[in-house]
Amino acid sequence: MKIEFILNDKKRVIQVDPASRLLDILRDDFELTSVKEGCGEGECGACVVLMDGKAVNSCLIPAGLIEGRHIVTMEGFRKTERYKVIEESFLKAGSVQCGFCTPGIVMSTESLLRENPLPSEEEIKEALSGNLCRCTGYNMIFEGIKLAAERGKGLW
Amino acid sequence: MVEGFRPADLQEALEFMAKHPSIPIAGGTDLMIQKARGFGLKPDFNKPLLFIGHLRELRQISVRNGNIHIGASVLLNELIKNDKIPEALKMAVRQMASPPSRNLATIGGNICNASPAGDTLPYLYAADAFLVLKSSQAERKIPVGKFITGPGKTTLKSDELLTEIIIPDKVFSANYYKKVGTRKGMSLSKASFTGLADIESEKITDIRIAFGSVAPTIVRSREIEASIIGKPVSEIKNAVPEIVKKFAPLIRPIDDARSSAEYRKQVSLRLLENFLMKLT
Amino acid sequence: MKDSISKPITRVDAPAKISGAAKYIGDIHFENQLFAKTVRSDKPKAKIVSIKTPSLPDGYYIIDKNDIPGINRMRTVVSDHPIFADDEVNYIGQPILLVVGPEREKIYEIVSQIKIEYKDESAVFSIEEAEEKGTVFTEYSYSKGEPEAAFHDAVKIIEDEYHTGLQEHVYLEPQGITGEYKDETMFIYGSMQCPFYVKGAIQDVLGWDSDRIRIIQSITGGAFGGKEEFPSLMACQVAVASLKTKRPVQMIYDRDEDIICSTKRHPSIVHYKAGLGKSNQVIVLNIDIIFDAGAYSELSPVVLQRGMFSATGVYNFPHLSVRGRNFMTNNVPSGAYRGFGAPQTIFGTEMLMHNIAVKLGVDPLKYKINHLIKRGDPTCTGGKIRDEVKLLEIIEKVEKMSGYRRKIERRKKFKGIGVSLFLHGCGFTGKGEATIKGKIILKKNGDTVILKVSSVEMGQGAETCLRKIVAHTLSLPMEKVICETIDTGLIPDSGPTVASRTTMIVGGLLRQASLELKDCWNEANEIEISKTYKHPDFLSWDDDKFVGDAYPTYSWGANVAEVEIDSLTYEINVKKISAVYDVGVPIDEKMLRGQMQGGIVQSIGWATIEVMNSSKGKLAQHNLTDYKIPTSMDVPEIACKFIENPYEFGPFGAKCAGELPSAGAPPAVAAAVSNALGIPIKSIPLTPEYLMEIDKHED
Ligand SMILES: Cc1cc2nc3c(=O)[nH]c(=O)nc-3n(C[C@H](O)[C@H](O)[C@H](O)COP(=O)(O)OP(=O)(O)OC[C@H]3O[C@@H](n4cnc5c(N)ncnc54)[C@H](O)[C@@H]3O)c2cc1C
Ligand code: FES
Ligand code: FES
Repeated sequence: MKIEFILNDKKRVIQVDPASRLLDILRDDFELTSVKEGCGEGECGACVVLMDGKAVNSCLIPAGLIEGRHIVTMEGFRKTERYKVIEESFLKAGSVQCGFCTPGIVMSTESLLRENPLPSEEEIKEALSGNLCRCTGYNMIFEGIKLAAERGKGLW
Repeated sequence: MVEGFRPADLQEALEFMAKHPSIPIAGGTDLMIQKARGFGLKPDFNKPLLFIGHLRELRQISVRNGNIHIGASVLLNELIKNDKIPEALKMAVRQMASPPSRNLATIGGNICNASPAGDTLPYLYAADAFLVLKSSQAERKIPVGKFITGPGKTTLKSDELLTEIIIPDKVFSANYYKKVGTRKGMSLSKASFTGLADIESEKITDIRIAFGSVAPTIVRSREIEASIIGKPVSEIKNAVPEIVKKFAPLIRPIDDARSSAEYRKQVSLRLLENFLMKLT
Repeated sequence: MKDSISKPITRVDAPAKISGAAKYIGDIHFENQLFAKTVRSDKPKAKIVSIKTPSLPDGYYIIDKNDIPGINRMRTVVSDHPIFADDEVNYIGQPILLVVGPEREKIYEIVSQIKIEYKDESAVFSIEEAEEKGTVFTEYSYSKGEPEAAFHDAVKIIEDEYHTGLQEHVYLEPQGITGEYKDETMFIYGSMQCPFYVKGAIQDVLGWDSDRIRIIQSITGGAFGGKEEFPSLMACQVAVASLKTKRPVQMIYDRDEDIICSTKRHPSIVHYKAGLGKSNQVIVLNIDIIFDAGAYSELSPVVLQRGMFSATGVYNFPHLSVRGRNFMTNNVPSGAYRGFGAPQTIFGTEMLMHNIAVKLGVDPLKYKINHLIKRGDPTCTGGKIRDEVKLLEIIEKVEKMSGYRRKIERRKKFKGIGVSLFLHGCGFTGKGEATIKGKIILKKNGDTVILKVSSVEMGQGAETCLRKIVAHTLSLPMEKVICETIDTGLIPDSGPTVASRTTMIVGGLLRQASLELKDCWNEANEIEISKTYKHPDFLSWDDDKFVGDAYPTYSWGANVAEVEIDSLTYEINVKKISAVYDVGVPIDEKMLRGQMQGGIVQSIGWATIEVMNSSKGKLAQHNLTDYKIPTSMDVPEIACKFIENPYEFGPFGAKCAGELPSAGAPPAVAAAVSNALGIPIKSIPLTPEYLMEIDKHED
């Protein structure tokens, strides 16, 4: 199947099996290895990318579904101003340990802040509930997101 | 390699189905997992895939003639944000899956997947929802309870699509929903309970009770409901043991990796009791 | 004045991890690489009668026991696990062979065509059954005082039994290893805690000299003990495959496969017989510990030892006898998991103390305080508590933070509060450190200092912590202190990254070397200092009798948990954990807080929602849909504080930390649940199914 979509702001046309997982297309065909596979069943959120600005699990998405969509991975997002704020805030708050969950969490953070630039603690918890982290116990990630929302006022 | 087809509109989708046995795929969150084979491997489909998530006809929410019409491909996250959607349905949807997967998963997919743990179902049963099923030749409208016949089983024909869910736009004075999962975030239901009721002049004028995950399909009993309707609220307390007793044989859960039959049954009946007591 | 060492700095590894630039093993593609998929036993115990394989297309290979040039066993404490099954299998998921080739799809097709014929044999599925049949791997015992006589004197005897279940690590990055045979040398890359363990294992399997083997750790996405011994097995398999195919071979597990075959936390049953004296004090305790080691022994003996030496918790029982046994079952092998046997026995002992107190009608915390061990007291193995024990200060602080006193007195059904006291023995057990003799090298090169150590960064912050110790000592900026790549060809063996030993032992050696370097800094442009661990002379240990100092020193802690239980569904809501720890001196307060919070949440998972049952040797929960770990919505508010208690021999006074939190939260939560429901708790996980059942029986 021929699929046309936008990947990190570039138009791409690919010929693929319509059932191929977006996750594999990103990792294998485009070498975008910020997108991680932690479970392959929608449970862990390590594979989360943005589709039209919203967080989605790339392991659940068949290629046929991305026609005309705008996909953003960390490789694209890390060039933005908003990313810089998230990075600084996560560094400051100690939100990262092994890091395997982190790209997915940054993507979910971006998706949340776009919809809700000043989320409450409850809203942050809710928004992250699809991103497992086994290392941090989450509290320092919540702090990182709160900090990003404060520091990045006006960016979202 | 399986074929994939992205129709331009609903008509084209239905015509494609009429000619080719195919698998409709909306959000893919159920299908991609059911057919998953492992890291780096394509899910295993044996028929062409028909993509329907993008079809505009299936993505509308509107209120007409006292009914709420929800397109089958409306996303779960869209339901939560839309002010036409009844609160009782939102309560269930907010606890489904996770934020990123709710940006993919559709209400139509949840219904057609027909899992006993499908979390939109108890509400749809309770609300007397109808489903519109279309083929290139015909259209039928049936109650959700007639559509789902068993775990993963429906009366969907191979050339049909679910296009719309129709819910009578009725506001209940009591809305009760409880999902029992393993944890607070993202879990499939061990059991779930939906209770809706109307009370006028201290009398129960309408009541709907639905249980999820405790039988091959959602449990609802119009007979038992009818026996409650008309009762003064003051009599409910005394009637509770009797009502619970009537429901008990209908609750037939199983043991599985997530919970035990015994617990599921106990919890379901306790939630029923709690709902009824709250009416008093 | 210089900043305190505890003042937080930015983690050195974080920027690349946040941006997604960090490459884990699955992100690294080797030229010409092949993929490998393991064919596993689906029988719990059977003889392999025959293996029928399809004819293989060009470029595809089957790798099995016949391809092993050396020994077909994985080197570890007990080297009993076959790299590939010989002619029998002993658990579901045991590796039999690999299919290796360039295309994943083709590999899967070949795998599906392989037919294995088995002859079933009778298997053992639980510790209870194993105990009945007597399938013991290891049995140890030790005692203190005169337990028999003391039971004679006891005025009251209480017997009780405590159970804990399996726990899967769920490091977010599944196991993965790549092997590359190149220039007569075997290179192994991958996610791991212990590069030199892997090296030793490869040596045995290939039968080669050690200089032809290089192990290079890649960024490791969490481990928690799960990547202590297990990567050795995978590494041996891909090494054999690469040797045969002469191409790099990569093996990355799916989550399901990872859960099915990787090691887990030992399920345990601990039986107690306590003798109480006239003042209701426990004067004598009999502790009988049994662990389910699974199908192979591997690390289990040392896990059991730590479990046994931690079993008295923070208490000094005058008379004691402890027996520990590891049982062989036909379950997936148990192995290292954060806490290494101690969380199991500490759970039992904390709950025993709690339940006795409740039975006697006294406040559990007061009862526990009456038994606390003090400086100068003998340890359970007859060693000595040499350093100051600040438990009373810890308790006072945690009481204040949580309002424990006030809340325990206002008990309401379904709302509860509970306290736990715990410790962790720092570094290896017994002679471990003396045997391993960790080495480090510190090299000055102009204005830069290079650290050569084998302690790996796996999320716990080792790299930042070790560099910080050196930078702080030498008053250098962090950028000027760098770590050599973790490549066994370039670094000395500082020992494995386990046992919470990295900061105290390896950091301690680095601190000594930095002080020496400081003294001679101006003498040359290039200076190299190496250090080898020397076990302090005052520590003695008899490994046969289990007498002496099992650990050089201990870290301590107290947790208070507050819970609410849904009166209809019995779901537990852990509302708050207040935690105070004595880890000597925190090397980085923020990083350590992260360790503690992560450990608390992980162990709350074990105590509440993480259910893993095996039925006839088959795991009922083998994916993340069924095996649930805490999400962001499940975590309590956590208040976490440290008290300082510098340790003379630790760098800047630091002791051990990483495993300490694992023992604390489970008994605190269980005590709170017991308080909320007014019933004794003797088993975890505390599922609502279990609570509803036992609450019913109590009514
Ligand atoms: C991590 C995770 C968590 C989940 N948690 C929950 C949960 O808490 N509660 C819950 O109920 N579910 C849950 N699910 C299941 C799933 O997300 C829902 O059932 C979802 O609503 C399915 O929608 P979909 O569009 O993705 O379905 P798809 O996978 O696209 O389709 C599902 C089935 O319906 C058919 N179908 C879809 N649309 C139509 C149509 N219009 N006409 C005819 N047939 C159609 C498909 O052919 C397929 O058989 C979870 C899934 C995942 C991966
Ligand atoms: S890999 Fe997609 S959610 Fe885990
Ligand atoms: S930092 Fe390791 S999983 Fe989140």
